[in-house]
This record gives sequence, C-alpha cells and structure tokens, in this order.
Amino acid sequence: MKTSIEWLKEYSDINVDAKTLADRLTITGSKVETIEQKGNDIKNVVVGKILEITKHPNADKLIVTKVDIGNEVVQIVTGADNVHVGDIIPIAKDGSELPGDVKIKKGMLRGVESCGMMCAVTELGLDLADYPEQIEHGIMILPKEFEKFIGKDIVDVLKLREDILDFEITSNRPDCFSIEGLGRETAISLGEKFKNPHKDLDKEVKTVNEIEGLKVDIEAKDLCYRYIARVIKDVKIESSPEWMKRRLNACGVRAINNIVDITNYVMLELGEPMHAFDINSVKGKHIIVRRAKENEKIITLDEIERTLDNSDLVIADEEKPAAIAGVMGGLHSGISEDTKTVVFEAATFNRGTVRLTAKKVGLRTESSSRFEKGLSPEIALRAINRAVELAEMIGAGKAVEAKIDVYPEKEKQKIIKFEPEKINNLLGMNISEEEMKTILENLGIKVNGNMLEIPYFRVDIERTADIAEEIIRIHGYDTLQSTLINAESTLGAKTKEQKLQDQVKEFLVNKGFSEMYSFAFISPEEFKKCKLDNTKAIKIKNPLGEDYSLMRTSMMPTVLQSIATNYNKKNKNVQLFEIGKIYSDEQGNIEKDELPTEIEQIAFAIYGENADFYTVKGIIENILEISNISKYQLEREINANLHPGRSAKILIGKDKIASFGEVHPEVLENYGIGEKVYYAVLDIEKFAKYGKNNKKYIPIPKYPAVERDIAIVVDEEIEVGQIENIISKKAKNILETAKLFDIYRNEKLGANKKSVAYELIFRAKDRTLTDDEIKNTMDAITKELQVALGAELRA
Amino acid sequence: MKDQILKIKENAEKDVSNAKSLQELNDVRVKYLGKKGELTAVLRGMGSVAPEERPIIGGFVNEARDIIENKIELKEKELKEKALNEKLQKEKIDITMPSKKTKIGSIHPITGVIDNVKEIFLGLGYEIADGPEIEKTYYVFDQLNTPIDHPARDLQDTFYINDNIVLRSQTSSVQIRVMETQKPPIKIICPGAVYRSDSVDPTHSPVFHQFEGLVIDKNITMSDLKGTLEIFAKKCLGEGTQIRFRPHHFPYTEPSAEVDVSCFVCKGKGCRVCKNQGWIELLGCGMVHPKVLENCGIDSNIYSGFAFGCGLERIAMAKYGIDDMRLLYENDVRFLKQF
Repeated sequence: MKTSIEWLKEYSDINVDAKTLADRLTITGSKVETIEQKGNDIKNVVVGKILEITKHPNADKLIVTKVDIGNEVVQIVTGADNVHVGDIIPIAKDGSELPGDVKIKKGMLRGVESCGMMCAVTELGLDLADYPEQIEHGIMILPKEFEKFIGKDIVDVLKLREDILDFEITSNRPDCFSIEGLGRETAISLGEKFKNPHKDLDKEVKTVNEIEGLKVDIEAKDLCYRYIARVIKDVKIESSPEWMKRRLNACGVRAINNIVDITNYVMLELGEPMHAFDINSVKGKHIIVRRAKENEKIITLDEIERTLDNSDLVIADEEKPAAIAGVMGGLHSGISEDTKTVVFEAATFNRGTVRLTAKKVGLRTESSSRFEKGLSPEIALRAINRAVELAEMIGAGKAVEAKIDVYPEKEKQKIIKFEPEKINNLLGMNISEEEMKTILENLGIKVNGNMLEIPYFRVDIERTADIAEEIIRIHGYDTLQSTLINAESTLGAKTKEQKLQDQVKEFLVNKGFSEMYSFAFISPEEFKKCKLDNTKAIKIKNPLGEDYSLMRTSMMPTVLQSIATNYNKKNKNVQLFEIGKIYSDEQGNIEKDELPTEIEQIAFAIYGENADFYTVKGIIENILEISNISKYQLEREINANLHPGRSAKILIGKDKIASFGEVHPEVLENYGIGEKVYYAVLDIEKFAKYGKNNKKYIPIPKYPAVERDIAIVVDEEIEVGQIENIISKKAKNILETAKLFDIYRNEKLGANKKSVAYELIFRAKDRTLTDDEIKNTMDAITKELQVALGAELRA
Repeated sequence: MKDQILKIKENAEKDVSNAKSLQELNDVRVKYLGKKGELTAVLRGMGSVAPEERPIIGGFVNEARDIIENKIELKEKELKEKALNEKLQKEKIDITMPSKKTKIGSIHPITGVIDNVKEIFLGLGYEIADGPEIEKTYYVFDQLNTPIDHPARDLQDTFYINDNIVLRSQTSSVQIRVMETQKPPIKIICPGAVYRSDSVDPTHSPVFHQFEGLVIDKNITMSDLKGTLEIFAKKCLGEGTQIRFRPHHFPYTEPSAEVDVSCFVCKGKGCRVCKNQGWIELLGCGMVHPKVLENCGIDSNIYSGFAFGCGLERIAMAKYGIDDMRLLYENDVRFLKQF
C-alpha cells in the first residue's frame, strides 16, 4: 500500500523526516518497504515566459526564442511547434537535471546558442493522463495565471515534491489498507495525537426501500453481509480537482473522472472498496446480489469476457450481472460521460469468495485484495457517507437524502476480557496496567473496567494473545528482555538413527566423497534414463513443469544427473553422496487421503581412479561394521539399471538393506557418461534397525593359532564365495580366518581353470589344537572341495 | 716381568685407539685378552716366578686386563655410534616428495549449517524431530490456524498431490505431530526440506531447507524467545551478533515477530549483502497461538510456548558469501569441495 506523507499529515502531526517515520512505523509493525521521494530528480527547472520567437537562420524546423526566466532572459532553440509568444512554460536551465538522469547543458543547435530546454509533460516524468489539456508531442503550456511564478522552481509550482511510503500490509490488518488506519498507526508510533478528520461519518440518514425507483435485494445472504446504496443526481462527469488527483496518483491510482475517482479515493482513505453505477444501466432498477449461474458471462471494465459459475458472487440487475462482487465492475454498467444519476455502492462480501473468484478469473484488484482480508460491515456506512460528502464537496452532483441499507444481521460489538497479568506473563514483562490502558485507548480499543471493547475495524483482535501483541508492539519489541527458559530441564540427544547417519556421513567424507543436494521431484524422462518404472511414482498436481513433476522413487536419477554434470565439466575422479528420501505409493494410499511411503536412503557414486566394484563393496562392508551388523548375506542383484554381472545386494534374512554395483552401460549412455560409474544405495533406517546395540567383550585368545595354506585348481565359473563357504562349513568353529592370497591362471592349468590359494588360521578357544585335529580338518575341507566343486589339490 | 706387562698394556691401549671398526677391535681383544693372547701368555708363564711374587704379578696382570677391557668397551660404544650415524645418514629421504594422503570429501554447506544448528540446540536441551515431507494439509495448514480460504494454501504457493495432501511448505507440520503425541515439556527443533512453488533463480528455489524450533511448557514467555534466539544468533553467526525483533503476522503465532540480525558481513555498517540496511532478515517467530495449542489438545491456560523458523540456504549463502542459490543444487565438485 502506497501513501504520501502529505495525506498522513491529516491524521497526525509529523515532525520527523521520511526515513525516521518509516523506521518508527516499521518497528511498530507497519513495515515500510520503500521510500520514494518524488520531485528530487528534477533540478533547476523553472517557470518561464516566451518573449520573442524568430526563425532559425539555418534550419526550417527550428525556432529561436527569448525566454524570461525571472532574473534573466535566455535564448533557447527548439523544434516545438505548439509554442507562442506569451506562453508560460517549464524551462530546464543550463545545468539542470530531469528524471531518468538527463542533464541539460547549453550548446549550439545548428550554429545558434541554446541556453536550456523547454520541457514536455513526459520529460518532467509526469503522466500525460494527469494533464489532459496538454498534448503528447509538445511543450507543456502552463496556465496564464502561472505568470506570477516566473523564475520559480517548477517542482514547487506544480507541487511535485512528495514523499511516498510503500507499506507491506500483513493479511491480519485490513484496517491498515487505508490512509485512516495508517494515520492511526503513524500517530501512535510518533507519540502524537490521532486527529481523525472524519469523525462524523457515522451519521445516519434515513433508510428507505426505494430511491429514484431503485431497489436492492441480497439473495446470497451467506456471501454478502451488507449492501448500502445512495444516489447522486444531476451529476456532471468531469475531471477531479488537482488535490484529489494528486493524492490518488501518490497512491499509484490513476485518475479517471470525478465519480470513479471518488470511489477510489474513499477506498484508499477508509479501506472500503466502492463501486459506482449509472442508474440507467440497471435493468428494472433492481440490484440483486446473487450467486452467478453456471457459465454466466460478464465483460469486465478491462473489456475482457469472464466466465463465472455458482461459486462466484455477482451484483446483477434483473437481466445480467453488472459487476463481479468485490472484484471488478462490468463494462456496460460503468460511468460514462452522459451519466446523470449515479448509484454509489458500499457493500461487504465474504472474503473467501472474493479471493477465490479473483484468483479464478485472474483479476487481483485493489478491491479484491482488501475484501479478501476480511472487512467489517460497519465501514460500509462511513464509506458511503464519505463518498456522498466528497461528491457534494467537489460539485459532482446532488445527493438524495436517503439510503438503501440491506444489513440482515448487524455485527456485534466484540468484547474481550482485559487480563494485564496474563499479558505480562506471556511477554515476560512488567508493563503497568495504566500504560496498557493508554496504549489500548490510543489504538481505539475502549477499556471498560476489566472489559475491552474492540472497534469494528480491528477484525484481527479476538483474544488476550492479540492484545498482548498490541501492547508489546507499541511498548516496543526492543524493550523485550532476553531471558532463559525457567522450566523443567530436558535432555537433548540424538536418536540412534540420527547418530548412525552422522557416522556414515563422516565415514564417506573421510573416504573422499562430497555431499550433494538435489530436488526430490524429477522429470519422467529421468525415470526412463534410469530404466525405472514410474507408474507408482507420486505426481504433483501443479508442478513447476513436466521436468519437476514426479517424486523420485530411487536416488539414482539425481545422483547420476550430478555425476553427469561433473563429467561434462571434465572433473576427474568424482565421488558424490546424497542423503535423501524416496517416495512411493505402492498401497494406493493417496487415493484414500493417506500418506504414501517415504524412505530415507544414502546413495553414493564414484568414477575415475579407484572406481571399481570391490572398492564400493569395501565401503559397504565398512558401513556394515560401523553399524554393528555382522551377520548378513551378499547375493547377486537383479536390477535393470545395474550391470547384471557386476552388482550385488546385502540382505538380512529376506530384507534387502543395500544394493550396489556398476551402473548399466545403457544407463550411462543415456546420461552421456563415457566412464564406468559405480553406484550404491543403502536403506539407512534398516542399518540402524539391524545394528546391534550392545557390544560385548570377547576374551582375547589364550591358545596358539595354527596356520595352513591350501591351493586348489577349479573351473573358472566357481566363485571364491563357494570355496569359502565349504572351508568355513568344514572347519566348524576352529577356523579363525580364511584369507585369499593368490589367484592365477596359465596354460598349464588348462583353459577355463584357475588356481586359488588361501591362508587358513585355526584356533580353539579352550585348548591347543593337535596336529591330528588340523590334519583331519584339512582333509575334510579338501575332500569336500573335490566333491562339491571338482577341485584339484595343488602340490 | 712387571715391565713386560706394562709394555703389553701400552701396546694394547695403542691398538684399541687405532681400531677402525668393530672387527678390528675384536682382533685387538683376541690379540691381548684371548686364550692365546699376550696377557694370557704372561699368566701362563707364572710358573717361572717366585711363589711369593706371584700374587703381585697376578695383581699387575689383572689390573692391566681391567684397563684394557675398559678401553675396548669405550671404543666399542664409540664405533657403534659412528656406524649407526652413518647408516641413518645413508637412509635420508627427500621429505618434499608428494605424500600418500588419502582424498577427503566434503559436507554440503547446508548440512554444515544444519549440523551447527543441531549442536547449539542439543546443548540447550532440545531434541531433533522429523516428519514426512509429503504431508496432509491437516498438519501443514488446518492445525496451524491456516484455514481453507487462507492465501498460503494457494496453488501458486504450495505443491499439491491431491486436495488434502501437499509437499510440506514448512516444517511446522512436524511441530503439530509432536504436540499431538507428546505432553509438555516439549523442546524440539525440526530441520528438513520444504517445498514452495517458486521458479529457480539466483535467490529462489522450489526446494529449500529450514529448521523450526518449538518449546511448550508452563511459564514460557516472549522474553525467553528473545533470549533463546539471541544465544542462537551469537553461536551460529558470531558472538558480536545483535538481534532485532519487528512485529509481524503469522497465523500460528501471537504475538509474532520477524527477527533481523546485524549483518555478519559488514557488522552493521551497511554492505551489499544487507542491502545497506545493516540488518539481515533471518527468521520468523512468535508465541504459539492459543488456537494451535488447543487444536493439539494442550490447555492454553496452563501452558504457553514459542516457535521459530529459519531458512538454512539463506544462512549458508550469507555465511559463505555464495551469491547464487543454484550452485547449492548443481553439485559441481569444484564448488562442493570448498566446504
């Protein structure tokens, strides 16, 4: 909301500069976003009078003038053809400045000296619409009576100097969407008296059912709480007086004509959006406030046809809608130059309806943005009285001394209990009851014993907490003390899962991984690239675009996207990890308004040096160790986006907790990545769940270990895991470790054969192992390897 | 006889000091003290000495032996030390050669800030709470005093999955979940990702992170809120940080405030980061609205509380001087490794 400080001065003395005023208002809750100081960009432009015009000796289209600018007469060359001897005009002198950083200096124009410039309306940064008597491509001709201002600064003469504050109005303060409301805040912020120039607007004129044949009915009583109409006769449509136009302008509202300007002026002044009709445009002279019909059409003032439905509210006559209630008037009911009798409307509409309709038709107007914050029906009477007062004051017409006022249910006076102690307790302050009373009275809240009468314009105040805010914002938020909670002490601690996540994160960082962040919504295209099924993916109804429309069901797309980014930027040896969630609706929960599944995962990927399957496997095994998981199975993974021969998963029982391997070459190709990438993903919640909590001490071995090597030749397809399984099965509980120390292949072994050698360490907890025991165990292992795997023992 | 012994002793001493190596020293030992050594030979020849003189000569011999042995021992120590020094000298390496350090990764700047925030509030006795990102409007709006016709619920601000399920636009939903299931005292912070319908540009992102704090107990005051946030601001942004409360409006708190901190780049003098204001808007906060307490079954006549919420990207960007939010989500390792 923009307003000029000049207007605010009607409500409060202001003896501080614009910046100080803005700071004071900001600190008490009316945040000033910008201060615009109009007129500061015009310097050294004065009123001048043309004394003489002669032809330019060297140019047909130029003229040479002598201009009286007060203390001297200067020569100015111009190409303008609308100037005459005796005209009073704005002159930009040598060394002057105009809006848009234009600097005027004297110079030669086709060989003749020119000591300044005559200004057009737009060159002064003014809006041509505000000066209808001026022409677009010509010099601004000032009224003859301005002769007395010759030599005076144009900024002062045209009253262009104006300080304008732009406020951010929060949604709970519709009253501050008005000069009156901001005036009240100004007075209280500066500690000045609030001088309300419009105290007598509550005066009642008699209510009638019909004026000049006009009747009003509210059909949709649930959406329209009050409708007041007054009639102005003998209307003469013309331009509004300068003072009114200037104020409208300062608030960013364009002047149109006296009647429309009055409605806008009252809206700005009192916060109640108004509307004016030509009485002859109302068919049957019957105004009906009703819901729109399905597909009912209206052409609004901006000449666009809008289609409405049953959820929208309209002001209609007996035939068709004349306005979308609270949003915008219809083109055909508007005020025209021939209008003779005007109906002023001040009404109160349901805030939600106005907001939704405005949004639906894409029209957020000055009017709708006030109604949607919620207005009291009590303002309507003051607004309409003010409009009538203004109409008579500026001679726009003559008011009929009666009103139509459909007000089915009068708003009740809001009363809440005054609880100073509770207020101090909530604030942690010790503000005296007397001071509280003064603050409240200044805000227009009447203190009546231990009861508070809340004025109609404070729709936001409902309970003691609201009063506490009023007290402290005026007493000063800066006076709040800084105290520490005086309450039962609590233990701040991380949960097991939070701790594990931190440990894993730290481990990955120590292993060279950098943490990445991404958006959890991705493009359907990403699903395809990663060979993922997107039928169960959760769709956003109103995404920013197709590229951000599906919630990821896997961490792979975002991780690979970032890997691809780095690959494309030619970064070498990249290692990334991401902690994030995946989302899916396997159970069809969303349809039942229940929440889908979210699983927290840690994913990492690596390319370049050290990037191989076994490095990733090692990291996974380390994380299992960190998580205190010692019993798990490693199996081959079947996953369309991983290399079928180079991927694996970790299971606990049947529960998969991790999956890793080389990214499938087709997936890499989809991302344009020309290097092998290894990827892993862990369900971190499951790692926390399966991790053993209690570590128990196991005695350090007391008896000696026995070491034996074994080397066998097996077929190439045999996996070392199979060999290890046999060794540990046959060695029972005396095997301490079985370490693979050599694999080799050569012609002597034969095609498709390999030699595998292990170092076995045996040890018993409770005794020294005998040679016989070891020999028997080794024999059992050898035999089983021969039988089960067709292994040959090497010498 | 005595002269002969003295002679041997002198020769031996000379030979010991001339020995160049442990081997030579050993040869000297054998030559004089060995079974066939010169001094041993003197003892063997004792038969020709008068019996009464034997102890005297014996004494001479032993004395000479002790002296020689002593000399050998000293020499041996000297030679060993020398040999070791030579060996160490030979083993000298070029310490400026490249090391075998392992590559260390990095924590994302947002995580860095989250970790910092967690540490501060854990120390103050807060727990860390978490909740779903795809959340019911009941938790994101209804229970937070943001009714169905409130502008915050607009499609242009919030991502909807269906009419009643959204991508949470604030982590306050976690507060409601905690208040509905736990009895006061409650002291939590909830950090996490939130979603708002903003296009990607240098200062906006449809996904960002925030943390919110909530305290509910008897006698919690707005002054406590200010005290708490002052500690937070000083610990997170530097001891010299000042805070400023400005009145504001949120549907779920009353009284409400926006909090500015003195610019931690220019210390309040005015710079590009604070747009010459000297202050940076940091967070929103207030006393939990009585309606919100009552919605969650907490008696607002007995309990009061405060809540605050703060964007993490904003802190990370200001703290590290990052001028484009998109860098945080692009994941170029040349960016990530700097943190």
